[in-house]
Amino acid sequence: MNGYAGRILRVNLTTGAITKEPTPPELARDFIGGRGFGIYLLLKEVPKGADPLGPQNKIFISSGPISGMMIPGGGKCDWTTKAPLTGGYASASMGGHFTAEMRYAGLDSIILEGISPKPVYLFIDNDKIELRDASDLWGKNTFMVEKQFKEKLGEEYQIAVIGPGGENLVPYACVNHDYGRQAGRGGVGAVMGSKKLKAIILHGTKSIPVADMTAYRKAGMALYKACKDAEGLKDWSRYGTTIVVSWCDEVGALPTRNFSAGSFENGKNLYAPVMREKIVITDKGCFGCPSPCGKYSRMKKYNSNVEGPEYETIGLCGSNLGIDDIESVAQANLLCDDLGIDTISAGNSIGWAMECYQKGIFTKKDTDGLDLTFGNVEAVFTLIEKIARREGFGALLSEGVKRASKKVGQGSEKFAIHVKGMEQSAYATHNATAMLLAYMTCDVGAHHNRAWAITYDLQVGRELVVPEKVARVIWLQNFRPMFDVIGGCRLQWVELSIDRELYVPALEAITGIHRSWEDLEKVGERIWNLTRLYWARENEDFGRVWDLPAPRFYEDAPTSGATKGQITKIEDVNLLLDMYYEQRGWTTDGLPKPETIESLGLKAVVA
Amino acid sequence: MRLYVDSTKCSGCNACRVACSLNLFSENNPKKSALIIEPHFPAPGFYTVKVCTQCGDCAKVCPTDAIKQDAQGAYYVDFDECNLCEACVPECPEGVMFVRAELANTAWKCNLCGDCVSVCGTSALWIAEIETVTA
Amino acid sequence: MTATIRLGASLKNLLGSQAEFIVEPGHKVRETLLLLGIKPELVAMVSVNDEMKDKDYIIQEGDALRLMAVIGGG
Repeated sequence: MNGYAGRILRVNLTTGAITKEPTPPELARDFIGGRGFGIYLLLKEVPKGADPLGPQNKIFISSGPISGMMIPGGGKCDWTTKAPLTGGYASASMGGHFTAEMRYAGLDSIILEGISPKPVYLFIDNDKIELRDASDLWGKNTFMVEKQFKEKLGEEYQIAVIGPGGENLVPYACVNHDYGRQAGRGGVGAVMGSKKLKAIILHGTKSIPVADMTAYRKAGMALYKACKDAEGLKDWSRYGTTIVVSWCDEVGALPTRNFSAGSFENGKNLYAPVMREKIVITDKGCFGCPSPCGKYSRMKKYNSNVEGPEYETIGLCGSNLGIDDIESVAQANLLCDDLGIDTISAGNSIGWAMECYQKGIFTKKDTDGLDLTFGNVEAVFTLIEKIARREGFGALLSEGVKRASKKVGQGSEKFAIHVKGMEQSAYATHNATAMLLAYMTCDVGAHHNRAWAITYDLQVGRELVVPEKVARVIWLQNFRPMFDVIGGCRLQWVELSIDRELYVPALEAITGIHRSWEDLEKVGERIWNLTRLYWARENEDFGRVWDLPAPRFYEDAPTSGATKGQITKIEDVNLLLDMYYEQRGWTTDGLPKPETIESLGLKAVVA
Repeated sequence: MRLYVDSTKCSGCNACRVACSLNLFSENNPKKSALIIEPHFPAPGFYTVKVCTQCGDCAKVCPTDAIKQDAQGAYYVDFDECNLCEACVPECPEGVMFVRAELANTAWKCNLCGDCVSVCGTSALWIAEIETVTA
Repeated sequence: MTATIRLGASLKNLLGSQAEFIVEPGHKVRETLLLLGIKPELVAMVSVNDEMKDKDYIIQEGDALRLMAVIGGG
């Protein structure tokens, strides 16, 4: 099948059975790859009500048609599972070189099912596929394990590994790869830990068949040329996502002290040029990427290295915690990566704890003696360790802010900044209604990957609640994740503004199937409705109330910064949802109407 | 003319190696490429890239004259003439003379096609006149 | 006695404007943007001669500025 490796690997960790099945052509035709494969398989193979950390849950790792190809951004794979963090849909996008190597090993997807009786790792070298004993690796940090395998096997081998976070089933544990890329959010690492799978070692030497080799090479070259000619390439590659720290600070989007404000009075110390000068040594990128966003850094103060921090970690582990030293933020980044927990959820959870401490809800008696004043760097480092090991006070925080605030009460639920149980990522949304809607309706919880609309908010009028804003968010949600579906990264389009039409001939030359962006967005819309239906299937009371934002964003206007005195009204929150559901063809409680399911051809899938 | 690289600009993306394999073999398989990217992580934290300098040492020792020069003077392997004897491999000062029998029944090397330069987003690679060192 | 400002593709598309402006030095970036009819808050990044600067930077003669908007975000 052109454009595909042609096989899905199924690994049953309970029985040890390893089998391959052909990639169904209809699956490739209708769901293309990546998270498209992920949601289809999740609905089909993980039974309703499955315990995310139990034997019935599965992890579906999927590449896509541009993975491993001469196409900018062809370096992403999707990890789909039922989320330990939220009890709903989890889909984490992992960069680096893993997805390319999957394809060279002849695999479109890897399905991990069951639970191993003992710690194991999965070894894949072309057709030699084995589960091997990992008892001497269990407990080790991710960097050490990756280094060990690379030294033993060589740099051609790609490694995905969990740390103590995943082993300890931290609901926001991640999977690490290439010393700095993660399958980050929702707790994919915990699912892997529950299966006692420590790592996946991957190597392959096969080629990928394409429909039209000449047209593929021409289309790929055109895409690379567009990227190289892009006006902002130099700046973007120099700073990566850190380029927006200063701007977010300026417009009130930089989360500060548990999202109590959107500007940080010491934010200057976290800005991109300061970071570049102080710690960055290499621009490090994913497979096939002409605009490397990764900033590999050296922290002299701590004698350590890390890939990062990127914008999200600067926000959540920096300004959100009142920390203004970029080297310390980088060190916090490293600790999270090495231990295998998501920096976003960790930073957000610690920010919540710090506000509790500030308000006297926690005292040193509760916090194992840690002084959780905003800005206390050493306390943050200690807490990250405790969270990963679920020890002492870290155990409470390791549950995520929704569960932790429910346990603690005392009004702390009001400033638990999450949607659907996923901690909000690093954009403060006190007064940016399109972005707020994006967070409310994102299909994994409060994450910015599906739709990002802050400039649009500023252009149209940040407090306005108008149908065109809603239409914009919906379009972005149908469109942006298609990059995940085709096995690639959206940032070349997102950041360099290259003409997305250039992808069309590339996809057609690779797969042999012509798809316009209209066609692709239709697939995106279908996937969107399926992920919504998954949430509804798994949660009895699923509906509108699950889409509500953190109360902070309609009750608690910042008292400083660019958005001082600005807050969204609860009436507008509900109006946003009313408009959104209507435009999506959903009921007033936010469920896809039968006629919508029918018109999208999804009746058979959800039967 | 030869290929040059500034390793400090390499991001490890491997687009060059995919482009190379497509040019040499019409296959999408970067392991069949003629340049090497060595990652040095987690420390010290950078990549070093090895490229063919067109020194011709490989051609000097090839017993079947399989390594030829094209009209531009670039050395390349004539796949039909190579007998996999591997005499060329240790001669290459950069280690970019490749024999991997499990991947191809011929040795291969850079033929200066320039596709790697076209896809390098950080401009780490470029083609220029061979600089001669004067004593 | 001039400086140039080039707009990145995303900002240019956002504003529906020309790609390049010739401007008078001696003013803050912020003020110059307002004079050009560009809302400063829409500009996410200002680079001056390839170095990132803030909007209070005073434009010098011969400076080559590049402005970017973040349309797609993260």
